Amino acid sequence: MIKLFWQRLGLFRQAEFLSAKDLLQRAGAISVLFLLAHLAGLREFTSVLNGTIGSVAAGWKLSGFLALIYILLYLAFVILVPVLLLAALFLTAGRHFLCKNDSSPREQ
Amino acid sequence: MKSRTARILAGLAALVIAAVIWLPCLHLVFTRSLSDFRQNQGLSPKARQLAARHLQLWTDPARREQELKKMRASNAEWDFMGRSYLVWSLANMALRDPASKPLYLRTMDQIIDETLRLEKQEGMYFFLMSYAKERHYLVQPAHSLFLDGEIALMLASRRVVEEKPEYKSLLTERVNAIVERFQKSPRMLLESYPDECWMFDHCVALDAIKMADYLDGSDHSALIRAWLAMAKQKLVHRDSGLLVSSFTTDGTPLAGPEGSSIWMVAHSLQLLDEDFARDQYQRARKELGEITLGFGYAHEWLESWKGEANIDSGPIIPGFEISAGSSGMAFIGASTFDDGKFLTSLAATLDFAGFPSRTRGRLKYCASNQVGDAALLYAATLGPLWQKVKTGGKP
Repeated sequence: MIKLFWQRLGLFRQAEFLSAKDLLQRAGAISVLFLLAHLAGLREFTSVLNGTIGSVAAGWKLSGFLALIYILLYLAFVILVPVLLLAALFLTAGRHFLCKNDSSPREQ
Repeated sequence: MKSRTARILAGLAALVIAAVIWLPCLHLVFTRSLSDFRQNQGLSPKARQLAARHLQLWTDPARREQELKKMRASNAEWDFMGRSYLVWSLANMALRDPASKPLYLRTMDQIIDETLRLEKQEGMYFFLMSYAKERHYLVQPAHSLFLDGEIALMLASRRVVEEKPEYKSLLTERVNAIVERFQKSPRMLLESYPDECWMFDHCVALDAIKMADYLDGSDHSALIRAWLAMAKQKLVHRDSGLLVSSFTTDGTPLAGPEGSSIWMVAHSLQLLDEDFARDQYQRARKELGEITLGFGYAHEWLESWKGEANIDSGPIIPGFEISAGSSGMAFIGASTFDDGKFLTSLAATLDFAGFPSRTRGRLKYCASNQVGDAALLYAATLGPLWQKVKTGGKP
């Protein structure tokens, strides 16, 4: 039942590469991953940026690794996600514009 | 095939256009008005939130212990400097917000007393990096100007806000000892580490001496003038006109001008020689400060004197050469010299890449640490303390 709902919604069907839907799916995936990293408390480990260990118990290597994951997901979230959303918007608007132009002669 | 290629090209074009639109706008999401960080009177929202977190650390020993442990794993100096910056901030806050003065004074006293106790109990090496023990100080008995200067400035700052008789003799002893060593030193250069002297520490120590003069009516103006004349003549990097950051006791530079040092040096100099201080700030701003796409940051090293990333600079981000240490300290310089444009852009970067974390009105920056946040608090509150001493109003 749940599977059917998601299939109907069509959000997780594979989209054509670089189509508007593909860009939205990528934006969504990044947002979910960032949210998970944030909720897992990885933000605390970013202190490695100034040379301070994120957690004495975790040690330098693990702290650095977790910080790197968080920072990359954060940058993707604040830089890449808006770009993907804007690009999807442009593609959708462009398709509507083209469709409108294609149908114009028939309307006349 | 043709339609697939067209779709991919259209997708790529849309991505490029979107990036060209979004990247220059990104800073707008993080840019706040200057008054959010610093206000001419009273306390800014950021100052209140940062202070609330620091005050909590000093009422919660377990939490403080955890923070200090993390910092001491990298650098014992940070434990000490976090105390200094917090005391200096609280002194300014007490002058800005008289209603909260009792709380601020109580916290200042707690920090000063604990720092003096640790210095006495554990010795001066407790707050120094381990390499201090690897060689002998040239001048015996060993003293670190780093510790003496900052402790003296903590004591003086507290007394400027409100006199505390127990601290009068402690300040006098410490200042007299520094002055005596200045007078005995052939070049007026004192060690912070064995045969390693720091501009930062000299300027802070001279500020403490100046404040002791203000508080107790002594007069070391000739010493201060002589030291400044010597520094202008012997410790300035010729290409940039900036003061070098570290040198040996015979005045040989160890490192050129450094971002993590020069911004605080310019701030400290403001109490000693306003024109020279402003000149140093403007040169540092030109050589080390940057604003890219609305985000402010600072380099650690000059083009003409490159160095490695070190414990003070923090990791340097390649490409833009962004130093966390220098960028953090640049807040102090920009705030001191009312450089609103640079300060606003630095604050935008801080909210973008400093990973702020707010809990019940308390703010910390996860990419920073306790000393970094204390230095930011100082940048958000500085002014009244220097002003009171400079204008010569009665202590």
